[in-house]
Amino acid sequence: MNLTAGEISAIMPLVIPALGACLLPIAALDSDRDTVKWIRAAMFFIALFALTGGFFYLTRLWASGAQPSFGALHMDRLAQFGGIFVLVTASLAVLQLWDHLHQEGWVKGETLSLLLFSVTGMILFAATANLVLLFLALELLSLPLYALTATIRTRERAMEGGMKYFLTGAVASACFLMGSVLLYGATGSLDLTVIGARLGAGAVDPIALAGAALLLLGLLFKMSVVPFHQWTPDVYDAAPHPISGFMSVATKGVAVLALMRVMAVGMPAVGVPMRSALAVLAVLSLVLGNLAALAQTSVKRMLAYSSISHAGYLLLGFVAGTPAAYAGILFYLLAYLAMNMGAFGLLSALGLVGDEVGFDQLKGLGWKRPGLGIAVSLCLFSLAGLPPMAGFYGKYMIFKELILTGHVSLAVVGVLASLVSVYYYLGIPVALFMGKPSRQAEREAAERPAVLAPLAGATVLICGFLVLVLGLMPGTVLDGFARRAAEETVRLMP
Amino acid sequence: MITAWIDSHLLSFIVFAPMLWGLALLPLSRSQASLAKLLGLLGACGILVVAAIQLLHLPADAMGQVYAERFPWFTAVGIPVDYHLAVDGLNLWLVLLTAFLVPVTLLGTWNSIKERPGTAVALFLMLETGMLGALVAQDLLLFYLFWEAMLLPMYFLIGIWGGDERQYAATKFILFTLSGSLLWLVALLYLGGKAGSFAPGVMAMAVAGMPAGVQSTLFLAFALAFAIKVPLFPLHTWLPDAHTQAPTGGSVLLAGVLLKLGSYGFLRFALPMFPDAAARFALLLAALSAVAIVYGALVAMAQTDIKKLVAYSSVSHMGFIMLGIASMTVIGTQGAMLQMLNHGISTGALFLLVGMLYDRAHTRRIADFGGVALKMPIFTTFFLLVTLSSIGLPLTNGFAGEFLILNGTYGSGFAWGRALACVATLGVLLSAVYMLWMVKRVFWGPANAGEDSGTARLQDDLNPREIAVMLPIVVLIFWMGLHPQTFLAQSERQVAQALAVSRAPRPPAPAFPGLALAAEVKP
Repeated sequence: MNLTAGEISAIMPLVIPALGACLLPIAALDSDRDTVKWIRAAMFFIALFALTGGFFYLTRLWASGAQPSFGALHMDRLAQFGGIFVLVTASLAVLQLWDHLHQEGWVKGETLSLLLFSVTGMILFAATANLVLLFLALELLSLPLYALTATIRTRERAMEGGMKYFLTGAVASACFLMGSVLLYGATGSLDLTVIGARLGAGAVDPIALAGAALLLLGLLFKMSVVPFHQWTPDVYDAAPHPISGFMSVATKGVAVLALMRVMAVGMPAVGVPMRSALAVLAVLSLVLGNLAALAQTSVKRMLAYSSISHAGYLLLGFVAGTPAAYAGILFYLLAYLAMNMGAFGLLSALGLVGDEVGFDQLKGLGWKRPGLGIAVSLCLFSLAGLPPMAGFYGKYMIFKELILTGHVSLAVVGVLASLVSVYYYLGIPVALFMGKPSRQAEREAAERPAVLAPLAGATVLICGFLVLVLGLMPGTVLDGFARRAAEETVRLMP
Repeated sequence: MITAWIDSHLLSFIVFAPMLWGLALLPLSRSQASLAKLLGLLGACGILVVAAIQLLHLPADAMGQVYAERFPWFTAVGIPVDYHLAVDGLNLWLVLLTAFLVPVTLLGTWNSIKERPGTAVALFLMLETGMLGALVAQDLLLFYLFWEAMLLPMYFLIGIWGGDERQYAATKFILFTLSGSLLWLVALLYLGGKAGSFAPGVMAMAVAGMPAGVQSTLFLAFALAFAIKVPLFPLHTWLPDAHTQAPTGGSVLLAGVLLKLGSYGFLRFALPMFPDAAARFALLLAALSAVAIVYGALVAMAQTDIKKLVAYSSVSHMGFIMLGIASMTVIGTQGAMLQMLNHGISTGALFLLVGMLYDRAHTRRIADFGGVALKMPIFTTFFLLVTLSSIGLPLTNGFAGEFLILNGTYGSGFAWGRALACVATLGVLLSAVYMLWMVKRVFWGPANAGEDSGTARLQDDLNPREIAVMLPIVVLIFWMGLHPQTFLAQSERQVAQALAVSRAPRPPAPAFPGLALAAEVKP
């Protein structure tokens, strides 16, 4: 089989992480006690090399402006955006994992390998409009995540979380598949573009409508939108911190990108009635996510519920459904990448690897690690949507489009929800800087050797810096990156 | 070359230099706290000197925007946002007040903050950037950004260095302020979308073409955000908590500048942009202001804690400012302008003095004191002077401001004007009652003989540093009382212009022989 240069460049971003994923278990096989240190370092190097390799390949592709495709695989702007997004997230997660290696010793070759397989699946997920390929990618990205959730085998709730994720995820995948089948039955095609054209603008076939709804259900599950959110807190709680961060950002991100493709390309006709359903789900996510987050005492469960509410904000962008709103969603995703990886990174950076990290355990730590404290505070202010951080502009773009399209009441719900979120997000800076550690916590800290997690700390600093830069210069990123990626999708809209 | 660059970016320099200086001091703040404090103070003084020298050179007739800086900031999708800073008659003196209060605060609370003083100084400088930026921002979204950016340093100042209930107070402060400003953001985006710009002038034109109901809703969204900041009754409940829990310096800047931004927002944005809606709601605003005046005064009277008393007196005084603005007359608004400065100076000074007392006695309960005058005569002198200015004794600054406000309200031509002016005058009376009663209980009488009383713990009178802080304040109190025209000249035309936009029926300014000012005002 002869591949043209264009076809090769379309599949390269997938090949690089996949190759890395295949190499890693080999490196892990020979884990002799004496050489184990070197082998681990080599594994991390391979993983990082595969991720950065893919990243540089994609950025070059982006800079060249080429949008190669290979069969049903379209490495267009949106896919390139998705690839870069996933690879950056995964790189940050791998850097954070490095420190867990010293802390717990559970990071085996499989972990990194599974992570890279999942990354491959995610890139594919963002790069295709074919329903079979989409399903394939969905499984490729999900199956490693189920295993990754249960990675810490000594932890009871790890098994429980992994199983819970697997069972619910399987149902969602089945729904996705059933939806594809119904759409195929109604239109006779698996390609979203063709499906969109055949459905036309007229009255929608009920079978097609049911198919579309089931398809969306699969995606909304991955985004953890209410009422498909039940797994989120348990799974984030069960997984190691960097994996939780990776799942919350990358999985949600690619699900949003796929939803964008489906809404804009596949079902413009179905999309309009679907929007009111999305609006209801968005409001539910905002209300439930925020209210439940208020009641949490565990940092990770708080972040999990807050990620449900962020899914709500992202959905609001779909309700607006204008090109600018799509650009806003993409910008929001970039901001979310920085701020959420920073927030989860804090836990790794402080070496808090116990079963449950409560707010109490953070008390007074900001003064011990001021740089880290400031950086993570920036990330949390951004999550809360306070200017001049990146998160504010993400919300700004989405609310602006909502208002311009006449959904003022939804925008009001959105801002009120973010007001509620300020309270629980500030809980972390409050604990870091305003709390005094309890006697018991001080004793425990004295007993435990001071864990230094330089790489995880560095990722938090990077995230804090990104949050500020994206916030102070939103125009550059918005114009150069998010808007162009969104326009490619929107260009396909009839 | 550098001077030329600074000249063309003067405002950016004044606004951002404090923050950059504060950030630069952060690494020093742990190991070299006293050096960081000293450098922070010098930086703040430097900003004051630059601002005073440059801004007071304003050409007398150029009352429009001076030192304007404007370039498109981000125009990504949809509405362009400008980076537009300028000084004009409305914000000139508030900018100078801010630049003055920050070094005064730093010097006045030199030894009050014991833990991590260097970090606190850095936060004060960052707060200064937020306040100055909000004052000179001419683009509404930029204003919004500075407005929100102000919250975080103050939040940390209260939350880290505050009293026992600091976390509660800090959280309440930020949630209250945000609840107003987020709804305001929705209105801002709606209006920005309709107008295609965040420039107030362009937005005002868009507003003019809207139905009355929409105008009213938008105005209320703006007014809510500003009223919470002022704070106007009944949205004031965060203020006493924030004030009592905040460290002295935080209270000074909160009362001195942050609250002013609420009334400044009404004056600069809400009234000129929504003239019709403003006229419709003027009565409501004025009535709430009058209630705030009396209510704040009555509650202040019942306080047992000196700082809380001053905090409630703030509610009352800010009510005067809002009453002047709501009167929609040039005299009343000019009075509000002056009163903003007065309140910044007098209440700021009161908080400083209460802080000095607290540092010595470690209590603020009125009942713990008595006979302080015997032990601290210099302190008592200053406290009495500032008290008299706060009450509004003629010849002090408070009198000129309150007088103009009452005059403007009385002459506003509406039936309610006179009634409200009468109610507000009652507030003047009450302020004398609660302040003087407090002075009587704390300073006069025999020394509180209790073993553990506050008076017993007082050792030294004011030291030279504290006297040096209070002297310029006293000079300002009398200057503003004797010659208010210095501080009113620049804003006159601007205020008249802001009101001229309003199409509300305005009566002719009542002739007023007593003050030269009245003769010059030609609305």
